[in-house]
Amino acid sequence: MAEVSLKGIKKIYDNKVTAVHDVNLEIKDKEFIVLVGPSGCGKSTTLRMVAGLEEISGGELYIGGKLMNGIAPKDRDIAMVFQNYALYPHMSVYDNMAFALTMQKVPKEQIDKKVREVAEILDIAQYLERKPKALSGGQRQRVAIGRAMVRDPKVFLMDEPLSNLDAKLRNQMRAEIIKLRSRINTTFMYVTHDQTEAMTLADRIVIMKDGFVNQIGTPQELFNKPVNLFVAGFIGMPVMNFFEGCRLLLDGDKYYAEIRGVRFELDAFQQKTLKSNGQKPCDIVCGIRPQHITVGEGDLTATVEVNELMGSEYNIHARSGDDEVVMVIPTVGLATDVSMGSRINFTAHSDLIQLFDKESGNNLIWYDAGSAANNAPVCKDYPF
Amino acid sequence: MNNKKPSNARSIIAHVTLIILSFMCLFFFYILLINSTRSHAELQKGFSALPSSHFMENFRAVANDGTFPMLRGIVNSLIVSGCCAAICTYFSALTAYGLYAYRFKLKNAAFTFIMMILVMPTQVTAMGFLRLITKMGMYDTLWPLIIPSIASPAVFYFMYSYLQSSLPLALVEAARIDGSGEFHTFNRIVLPIMKPAIAVQAIFTFVGSWNNYFVPALVLQSKDKMTVPILIATLRGADYMNFDMGKIYMMITVAIVPIIVVYLFLSKFIIAGVTLGGVKE
Repeated sequence: MAEVSLKGIKKIYDNKVTAVHDVNLEIKDKEFIVLVGPSGCGKSTTLRMVAGLEEISGGELYIGGKLMNGIAPKDRDIAMVFQNYALYPHMSVYDNMAFALTMQKVPKEQIDKKVREVAEILDIAQYLERKPKALSGGQRQRVAIGRAMVRDPKVFLMDEPLSNLDAKLRNQMRAEIIKLRSRINTTFMYVTHDQTEAMTLADRIVIMKDGFVNQIGTPQELFNKPVNLFVAGFIGMPVMNFFEGCRLLLDGDKYYAEIRGVRFELDAFQQKTLKSNGQKPCDIVCGIRPQHITVGEGDLTATVEVNELMGSEYNIHARSGDDEVVMVIPTVGLATDVSMGSRINFTAHSDLIQLFDKESGNNLIWYDAGSAANNAPVCKDYPF
Repeated sequence: MNNKKPSNARSIIAHVTLIILSFMCLFFFYILLINSTRSHAELQKGFSALPSSHFMENFRAVANDGTFPMLRGIVNSLIVSGCCAAICTYFSALTAYGLYAYRFKLKNAAFTFIMMILVMPTQVTAMGFLRLITKMGMYDTLWPLIIPSIASPAVFYFMYSYLQSSLPLALVEAARIDGSGEFHTFNRIVLPIMKPAIAVQAIFTFVGSWNNYFVPALVLQSKDKMTVPILIATLRGADYMNFDMGKIYMMITVAIVPIIVVYLFLSKFIIAGVTLGGVKE
């Protein structure tokens, strides 16, 4: 139970490659933070620096107010769950879970009590005498979590703990982690490349790319207020639609977004923000989430190419000019013909249209140049 | 159906070839064992494929012979081979672990240096080695046979390959986070995982050391320090017309029995060892 503070943390390898650039992050006590990003973005390296498994090349790390740079992993009062479980294969489940306490020279009776207590919570009490190889993937993951839990650590670190499990088990274990979190009530740092895990587990998400933090925020903030094209494209399923060749127009004292010659008058908040920023008309990329598109209205047109019935909704892949547009449309009350090859009209409410500067890729409404989290360089590429 | 006939013929040829090869390999062992059960007089008469009744008599003669202290030689060989197997596998595993698990400057240079030693024959360094151990006062002791086995590049390389395929570094990191010291991690976590590799290398080192003739011949003088290969070599000086041939066959039998026992009981590990290092579980 402790707050974790990363101040300008850097990782530079011997070959001068910088894996992590100036990460600033304040994690509150008992907060569940998820680091998410594509492979090679530096999220695992950041976690390993917190764990003490990687040397910190620059900056300061505090756990519970104490400077931790150069402190050995065992003296940081942390526990870590690894992607491949890292269970000692020659030891029984009981010995795996008891190992850390044995190292701390805790009396045997206490170790026994603690191990059995945690095994009960995780529903692995019946496997205590088994070796890890005699367990399924899900059971091994529980043992790995149990091994971390018996220590009552200040900070619980998890490095892609569910990525070795199949989809069904992953969903199940995700729910288990949510339950577990409410029970053990400690600070969590969790690394994943799976945005669903990030969205469902996190109090706050840290999105990283190329060693830079792009945005820190609650799942809702990241979904509704992405600061740049990368975040917008990374969070959300299906991926946000991006419309190239759009313009931000200023007509009188009103701002408009022009997509394929169709004008959208921006809402009051957008108008106010753009005005206060002194925004000039410019080329922009407009982003609209598939769930925010309304079919059968508006002046934008597209031709349906693929129509996937997902039960309660259709996923429609349509072509609008050069852009492929994905739309998620409820099946109930749908009056428009969305069969393959049909021509449809679509629109979106202007407050749900994200406006990205074509040059910098930053969101004209939500990008905060002063934020310590937004230290990422200009990001014009979409994450796919 | 057409495919079956050539396959049967191939199988027959293969079996016949293997039977002939096996016979050629095992026949001499069989004759050795048979001869060790025969008396000197019976041996003078010529070849016999059937065992006789002088086994214990020959064995007692070997055990009580002060000129050729074979039992003492076996004890010496057991001490040398056992110690070599133990320290060679432990320290090779430790070195391999050090190079595998830690990142440090000149790591690649250290690896290359060890590989360079691998290609250097023992004979090249023999004279220097002999001078060194004489100056250190270890001449005519068992120490020069045991201590150098600490550094064995071939065993190191085997252990290194095995670690690459079998030890995820996450285990070591997990142990560090759990509060285990570096040596404790090696002894409690890494060594048990390396057990199959250690078993097979221990066997090979034991057998190699048991059969080693060159170094013991250089450094051993006293009869009570001699190992089995040296003692057997001294038999060359025996007068075959007057010497008890039953005793000689018994000496050789006694000398090779430990090796046969090792191979028989540990053949599973030896076969497994051939594939170790290349197969990821």
